[in-house]
Amino acid sequence: MDRPVPNSVLRLKNVVKTYGDFTAVDGVSLDIPKGSIYGFLGPNGAGKTTTIRMILEIIKPSSGEISILGHPSALDVRNRIGYLPEEKGLYKKMKVWALIQYFAMLKGMNKQDAKTQAWTLLERYGLKDFAESKVESLSKGMGQKVQVLSAVAHDPELVILDEPFSGLDPVNQLVLEELIQDMSANGQTVIFSTHVMQHAERLCDHILLIAKGKKIFDGTIDSARATIPRRVFVETSDNVEPLKTLAGIQEVIEDETQANHWQLRIDEQVNPQDILRTCFEKGISLSRFEFTEPSLHDVFVHLVGDDAREHEFR
Amino acid sequence: MNMIRLIAWREYMENVKTKGFWVGILIFPLIFTAMYFLQTTLSNATPTRYYILIDQSGKYEQAVETAIERDHQRRILQSFVSYLLDNRKESDLNLTVANPNSGVDQFVDDVDADEVAALEEWLDSGGLDFALTMASPNLEEDAPPFVAPEYQFIAAEIPTNVDVNSSPEEIAAALRPYLRGDSLITVNGESADLFALILIPENVDNDITRPNTMPLNSGGPAGIQYWARNLTDSRLPDAISISINSEIRGREYQQLGVDNQLVRNVQRTRLPLSQLDPTAEAGEEAVSMADTFRQFAPIGFVYLMFVSLMQSVQYLLSNTIEEKSNRIIEVLLASVTAGELMMGKLVGIGMSGLTTIAVWLFSFYLFVVLYDSSQTELISQILEVVLSSDLIPWFVFYYFAGYALYSGIFLAIGSLCNTLKEAQALMMPMIMIQIIPIAMMAFVVLDPNNTIVRAMSWFPLFTPYLMMNRAAADPPMIDVVGTTILLILSIIFVLWFSGKVFRMGVLRTGQPPKMMEIFSMMRSKH
Repeated sequence: MDRPVPNSVLRLKNVVKTYGDFTAVDGVSLDIPKGSIYGFLGPNGAGKTTTIRMILEIIKPSSGEISILGHPSALDVRNRIGYLPEEKGLYKKMKVWALIQYFAMLKGMNKQDAKTQAWTLLERYGLKDFAESKVESLSKGMGQKVQVLSAVAHDPELVILDEPFSGLDPVNQLVLEELIQDMSANGQTVIFSTHVMQHAERLCDHILLIAKGKKIFDGTIDSARATIPRRVFVETSDNVEPLKTLAGIQEVIEDETQANHWQLRIDEQVNPQDILRTCFEKGISLSRFEFTEPSLHDVFVHLVGDDAREHEFR
Repeated sequence: MNMIRLIAWREYMENVKTKGFWVGILIFPLIFTAMYFLQTTLSNATPTRYYILIDQSGKYEQAVETAIERDHQRRILQSFVSYLLDNRKESDLNLTVANPNSGVDQFVDDVDADEVAALEEWLDSGGLDFALTMASPNLEEDAPPFVAPEYQFIAAEIPTNVDVNSSPEEIAAALRPYLRGDSLITVNGESADLFALILIPENVDNDITRPNTMPLNSGGPAGIQYWARNLTDSRLPDAISISINSEIRGREYQQLGVDNQLVRNVQRTRLPLSQLDPTAEAGEEAVSMADTFRQFAPIGFVYLMFVSLMQSVQYLLSNTIEEKSNRIIEVLLASVTAGELMMGKLVGIGMSGLTTIAVWLFSFYLFVVLYDSSQTELISQILEVVLSSDLIPWFVFYYFAGYALYSGIFLAIGSLCNTLKEAQALMMPMIMIQIIPIAMMAFVVLDPNNTIVRAMSWFPLFTPYLMMNRAAADPPMIDVVGTTILLILSIIFVLWFSGKVFRMGVLRTGQPPKMMEIFSMMRSKH
């Protein structure tokens, strides 16, 4: 995808990272528009974290170019970036508010503003009662929320969250989704990595799909769905032969596992209603007619396929 | 720069806020104080000891009693000297042997120089009574009265079942249970432990050895038999041995027709030795106590440096490993550069180290001020001498240099390891290297410009310790300049190198790297 994106906050061009013989990231290019919520999706070990670390210049790419907020190095703009690493850790002995204050100060905020901001955030996201507690007394999920807050306390233009949802209970996952949406509404760009498709589906407007270090897909959620043909599932004991000749139907496939189940692959512009009407007219009696948009999960499995399974059992 | 300050400040505050830090700091002065008091109490609390004297020869009972009396008088003398030092009007450490300014100083000095002769003089001149008269004008008005120590060795009655005329073997056998502590003797109606038996056999004179004669070997114990199960308290046997030998020599003189008094006078004749320092100004060459302290002071500095550096680098190591194993380091590295993080840590932990030293010095000062006695007065005077000497700038320089050098190395080690256990294996050689100059420190002070010491000073890891150790002895200029240049170059190299290792190491997980990997880290561009 070489067409320039206006207002790009992050651009990767053919980025490669090798460790000896092992290629962790293999020629990834992308462009992330300002204000978007961008998901990095991929199975475990796909290269998501390595890519993120290269973006932040914690490690340097073996080759390729990165431009972040208009600068070649994240070090130049690190006060404008917020980062939550994959493995979560905090200073155990510090008080919660002081910890958030400290990380905000490391990002260039002055002491008083950082303190005010810490208290504001803790109050807004339901942690006010723990502000004076030591980090070590928090539960794992709360600790993680604190860490997210400490990563974004300085109102960064670009927020990069590596697996922010792992370890959070459903309620707190929602709180975090809300936080991400708040930031996006505020004009901040959010990049997060996950292997849980539902979060990406609910939040993202763009995704990057990566497996074995290679980019498999990037673009909007809709274009991701479009990579899978739209399908209609029908169940009937009648002859489906008339449907095969219908305009807009690419293929009619018999389900090998279940008798009388058929899958119709249809063109994008076809209205499923037309198919239903045709069935009616041709006298095909249906016991089931189902049209669904493909889920991101389907896209993921479709695009990554066997790779994902291989990674899972590594 | 701001970031370094922020990181350093957090490191420092977090460190200072932990209980462990204060326990670590305060344990040192506490142990010091406890040891001081324990020692003082123990030496004052030596219990009364009962002995039995059986003199079958009939010649030496008097000599043994004299010996015990002399030992008692010696203790009075010693305790009187310390009483005097505690309570006399003013004391000046810069007095030398050559210019004592009063009878009291003369007296204290004499005891210091030759205790045996001083004791003779003490006994001859009338002991305590005379000394009190002599010293009273020099005592402070509110000085408490002097309390003489009690007799430590007291003769006990011989148990009735012991026949003093039987053979030495039989007497020893009969008293053995008492000496072993199995049975108790009776003293003034109370039971007591028998400390020693001094048994002088009838023919003891046969065992006298003279030059050019071979001692007769009868197979059994020769000479005076001193039986005691306490083998470490040698005061009693020493005193007896000295006293009886002096008695025997006296008799020999008589037999040879030499006047005994003449011999004693000759024995007490002495010529003082003035120690002079050729490096001092003309007229001030005489070596005073202060000069001696100044020469030995580097030992204290080296030790202080060692303890403080060890403590600081340990903090640094465990702290780096904590951040690493917590993965906090990744957040930090997204906010600051590895160089800033490293410098922040070095400065922050260095400040903790300085706090430690400051607390130690302060508690030491407090101890000296609050607990006023002759010993602490001496300590405070030593402190004064040391602080006014030109050793302080040396110490400050070598402390910081040593800290930069060692902390750089330990930080690199910490960044390569995930657990303290892993780090300990890598730390071990570094600690061993520091032990070498520490083990040498007493020897180095005695011979600071020895060729081996000079050569070793050029090894940068030894330089801070050894050059500090030699500081009071005006080491040759080439050594000072050369080792300093080498040291500074090594510090630059170590900080640069550990910066690289740190950057590479902090994000590593898994096994510590192999030697080859470390070399490749060195070569890499970032």
